[in-house]
This record gives sequence, C-alpha cells and structure tokens, in this order.
Amino acid sequence: MSLREVTPHFNIELIDLHETSCCGGPVRSINTKAATYLSIRNLALAEKSGLKNLLVPCNECHFMLCEVSHRIQLNQQLHNEVETLLREENLQYPTTVKIWHTIDLFHDLITPEKIRLRVKRPLKGLTFAAHPGCQIIRPSEIGRVDHPEKPRKLETLIKALGAEAKDYPEKLDCCGAALLYSHKEAALSLAGSKLKSLQEQGFQALVDTCPYCHIMYDAKQKEAVSTVGGKSMIPVVYYTQILGRALDIPSEKLGLHLNQTFTTEDVEF
Amino acid sequence: MTLTDQMTMAKPNPELQKKIFSRLVNIHPDECFQCMRCTSGCTSLKLLELKPHEITLLVTTGFIDELLSSDIIWTCAACLKCRERCPQKASPYNTIMILRNLAVEKESKVPEAYMKAMSQILETGLMQQETPVLSREAKPFNRQTLGLPKLHYPKPKLQEILMKILGG
Repeated sequence: MSLREVTPHFNIELIDLHETSCCGGPVRSINTKAATYLSIRNLALAEKSGLKNLLVPCNECHFMLCEVSHRIQLNQQLHNEVETLLREENLQYPTTVKIWHTIDLFHDLITPEKIRLRVKRPLKGLTFAAHPGCQIIRPSEIGRVDHPEKPRKLETLIKALGAEAKDYPEKLDCCGAALLYSHKEAALSLAGSKLKSLQEQGFQALVDTCPYCHIMYDAKQKEAVSTVGGKSMIPVVYYTQILGRALDIPSEKLGLHLNQTFTTEDVEF
Repeated sequence: MTLTDQMTMAKPNPELQKKIFSRLVNIHPDECFQCMRCTSGCTSLKLLELKPHEITLLVTTGFIDELLSSDIIWTCAACLKCRERCPQKASPYNTIMILRNLAVEKESKVPEAYMKAMSQILETGLMQQETPVLSREAKPFNRQTLGLPKLHYPKPKLQEILMKILGG
C-alpha cells in the first residue's frame, strides 16, 4: 500500500503484473527445480509485459529471483529444461528485465538527495533502527543491494527523512521467519531477542524492508517478545510507510492502521 | 536421536552423495577444509545446535542417509551468512536445501508447514489464500476495502507443469 502511494511522488509508475505466482521461496526445501521454475516464470512474465524493470519489495522473493537467474546462467542443462517448460506457458526465457528492491530503488535510482527535497514533514527527533534483513544483502556473488557485512543504505534513506538512524550490535541478526515452518519457538525467540534489545537501547521504532521480517517483528511481536521474557512493545514499520508520512500522506493510506505494534503512546510519525 | 547416535551404525551411501553433487550448481562441498567459519556465524547454532561444517563433512564422507533421517537439516534459518563467508564456495546452505529435497523424495519426516505451502501453491500458485487482515482495532480489511487491485491468478497450466517437475 505505502509503495503504491509514495512512488508517484518520484515519477515512478507501478504496473501490476498479472498471473504471477509465489517466488518459490518455501518450495526450494521441497523441490529446488520447482522453485527454480516458479522464480524464472515470474521474471518471464515481466519480460512478456515489455517492461524493463521489476520491483520486488521482499527480501526473499528478490533473493530467489536473483539466485535462480544466477544458477541457470551457470548450468546449460537447467537452462534448456526451464526454457522448454516456459514455452508450454507461451513464455520466453527472460534476458532483459532488471530486478529492483525497495532499498536500491530509493537509494540508487531515486537517491536520498531527491527524497530530502520532497520531504514536507521531517521526522525530527525520532531515532530508528534499520533492519535491512539477510537475503537482500547476501550472498554478494549473485548481486545484492548493499554490503553483505556493513549495510548502510537503509540508514541513509532514514536520515533523508530528517530522522536519526543509529547503528546497533544486533543489526545483522536474522528475524527467524524461515524457521516458522519447522521451529516456531526458536523463530520467535530470534525475533524477540532483537526487539527486546532495541527497546533497551532506546530506539523509537524498527524499520524493515521485507514482508517476512515484518511478520516476525510486527504481527508476531507480542509472542516473540514474551518468548524472551520481555513486556513492552516497539513500533515496526516498512520503510515506505515512514517515507509516506514524511511526504505528508495520511497514515491510513500507508496502511499504518494495519501495523500491530503501536503502543498506547503512539509514536507520531 | 542425535546425529552422533546415528553414526554408531552409519554406512556411507556413495550413490546419494553423487546425486547431491550433481544437483549443486557452482557449490563444491568437497573443497571444504573444515575452517568452521560457517558454524561460528550460524544463526541456528545457538538455538538449534546446527553445525553447518558437520553437515558438509557428513556429505563429503557419504553419510547421507543419517542426515536425511535427522531433523537437523530442517533447522537452517536461510540467513545466508555461511554462503557469504565460506572461503571455499562450499556453502552448506545449498547442500542443506538439496538434503531437504532428498528427504522429501525419501518420504522422511518433513515439517508439515512446508507441505501445506506446497499444496497451496499447487492449487492457486500462491502460498497462502487471500485472507482479511485485522487493523490494530481488530477491524477486518480486504484488498477491496483497502483499495488494492484484484489478484489475477496463474492459469491451470502452471499446476500441470509443477506436477510434472515434482513427479521427476
């Protein structure tokens, strides 16, 4: 919702792709080839639409699409197999589509300077923790949006809104979402430990760029924090939600009423 | 049963080992020199006792059946730190995914949630059904009330292709 609201402010038009499917993320554990097909098929649909850029606002989907393209390029047999299957759906092997994520779209294409110029309501006095997540920065060999060990772009994007973004020791800690399938307690405890520590360090909110991380830190926060013996809550937002507020877009249009993690003394974004 | 317990009666399985090697693209477990960089930074080490360097060692020595019947292969959080940090391009992450695939093929114990997601994808192409979301005040919203466009699902041909792949 918030992405759809903010992109027009930067002259970017989003067009919905029809007939897309799951990226194959959960399928790679069951059958890697089926996951490969699901991923490449989505890219092929983008190619068929004639558009040159595909925005993938999820760390895992972005990883799957990049990883699969990388694997297929290195394996001619897999390439041929996939190409034959795509033809059954009247699709062609994609070669030209560029894959974007929220972080590089705003940091590398739109740029923090331009964002700063558009900000109408600077988010002064707020200190955010940035959580870029795992799969969007690793592995660097397949081309990721930021440094694998020292990611800085999300912080720069937060600072462009007039807010503070402080570094913290748990920045690279995983949200645990992938463990929800098999080890729920461990997944919740991973998310909970990070949230608890962020609160102790005095952050006003956590900013993420991945729906999976967002489920762990927002929708499941109550459970996660109580798993590690914590009590209070910390607001969690997707980057374009606070960007939207800085552009003076009403909260409801940005889906902020759907975030589960606002305390009674709501942070005024 | 821990992996160590299983090793008392373990037998190497070179055929399965070959299968794993053949499915890995540009990942070379046999180049692993057990530096343990993967394990030292593993997300699941502390919580679930996953030691990725051991997984690689068991694969390179052929003890695949033991891995397939152990739930240790389902403890990876897919954070990809090992894939980034491995100095030998022997990343345990990709090996673990192939091991999971083999466990599914062997009909070993597979966490139910994965099978559920798979059958949902077979049915609609998406891993979850469209469900209303609740606001903080517990008011339900759906795509329409949120002003989001209708979803256009993949055609049944996708299901046919996926079934073909899953059937080998």
